[in-house]
Amino acid sequence: MCKRIELKTLLINNKDSGNYYVLDGNDYFNDEEIELDIDSIDSGYLLISNIQDEKIINLNINNSHITVSLFFEKTLKQFKFNANLRQNSFLNVYAAEFSYGKVSFDSNINLLDEKCSTDWHLASLSSNDDNKNICVSINHLSPRTTATVNNYGVCKDFSKLVFSGDSLIKKGSTGSKTVQNAKTLVFDSHSDAICKPILKIDENDIEASHAAIVGRVNEEHMFYLTSRGLNVNQARTLITFGYLKPILKGFLDEDIKKSISNLIETRL
Amino acid sequence: MATLRIENLHVTVEGKEILKGINLIVQKGETVALLGPNGHGKSTLFYAIMGHPRYLITEGKIFYDDVDITEYSTDQRAKFGLFLALQNPSEVPGVINSDFLRAAVNVRKEKPISTYNFYKLLDTATKEVHMPFDLATRSLNEGFSGGEKKRNEILQMMLLEPDIAMLDEIDSGLDVDAIQVVADIIKKEQAKGMGFLVISHYARLFDLIQPTKAIVMINGKIVLEGDKELIKRIDTKGYEFIKTELGIDIEKEDVNMNEVSIGSCAVKEIVK
Repeated sequence: MCKRIELKTLLINNKDSGNYYVLDGNDYFNDEEIELDIDSIDSGYLLISNIQDEKIINLNINNSHITVSLFFEKTLKQFKFNANLRQNSFLNVYAAEFSYGKVSFDSNINLLDEKCSTDWHLASLSSNDDNKNICVSINHLSPRTTATVNNYGVCKDFSKLVFSGDSLIKKGSTGSKTVQNAKTLVFDSHSDAICKPILKIDENDIEASHAAIVGRVNEEHMFYLTSRGLNVNQARTLITFGYLKPILKGFLDEDIKKSISNLIETRL
Repeated sequence: MATLRIENLHVTVEGKEILKGINLIVQKGETVALLGPNGHGKSTLFYAIMGHPRYLITEGKIFYDDVDITEYSTDQRAKFGLFLALQNPSEVPGVINSDFLRAAVNVRKEKPISTYNFYKLLDTATKEVHMPFDLATRSLNEGFSGGEKKRNEILQMMLLEPDIAMLDEIDSGLDVDAIQVVADIIKKEQAKGMGFLVISHYARLFDLIQPTKAIVMINGKIVLEGDKELIKRIDTKGYEFIKTELGIDIEKEDVNMNEVSIGSCAVKEIVK
């Protein structure tokens, strides 16, 4: 069942910095699919929390400038995030993906009109026997559309973490620009991380780049920190924390910031 | 009394033997100057003492107060009271300097230091090393200048208060005024009883901190011991006299040149 939600019912307050909306997954627990229209919002901030098990979120963004922060801390099976951007819209996404389980995470952002733009940031932590497939795809369907995708991951214990995603530039989308970055830190010899960035380009006059790094914690960094008396775990936690922490700047709510920090600390 | 004792230490780095039997004793309250040409094992000795995983001890032992610490982990050695100020400290992005310092300060404390006391301590220490306070709130060494990195090392030494501090070319990259600042801090710690093992190529720093002993390392061995006179002699005359007086051949650093062959015209290969 797809539930259509009116954006104005989610309004929490109206700050100087813009409208602040909260979509609490608990309130829409029974609805598998949620659809939300965001129209003519100059500066908005939408927090989506308590997302669990199976959920599909569809955003139709029209003539708006909005930041969407996603916070996952529970079991997750299948999550789909679809956004359609129209008329000069800008979408900024911060996803703190600290769920657990066998996770299939799919994000699809369609840049439908000229000059639509998106910035995507994701931090993911997989531990124990998590198995996460995170796929972030961008479709450039009009000229001069821009997109940046940054995926940061930490993979430990017996977990598996896969970053993938297609950045597609359709024929005719001249002057478009797309960037894909994926970086994963691997902790243990039995944890497994894979980065599969894919660029599908069907136009000449564009800019496209991608970078993928999978690596261990730097030996020299570990030596430096342990030579000051920190044990291996403390040093690793500090380095990893520094690696995932930038996602915090996408969250305005102090309580949520704190719970993300705590979550990182306890799970490392 | 904290004593670092090294017995017949042999160290291999990536399959090559660098240290070939080092014997050395450093006590709390002493300041030992470690001299020697580049590439003869001075820094290797420091790394081996601190337990860097890449520096393999093949023979010999390291004792700290008669406890054999040869097999101890790096953090355990630090907890005993050893400290190493690196020649080129790593930049660790994302790790906030003050978070790191606080974690490190807490290691040797039974009860964690309070936020207020820590910031007071940090504030005093940053002033003393003439370091802007905002450097303490930035990512560890990231984007620091050479001099700022060195000051940060000294700052860590002040906060951690080790028994024996090893300083690896702490004066390189520092301007004259900064050397004075660092030397003043060393002198203050000397007065409090901290022991030092100091590598430097310049007599200026040694003039300021007045080492109690000077040792010269050549070809991975300690070949000469002396006092201030020895430092002065090396500063003015270099290391050549060791060759003539002691008959020790000073090995030059191997420079592995790439094998290059220039083939015939229009042949595009060959450069190995």
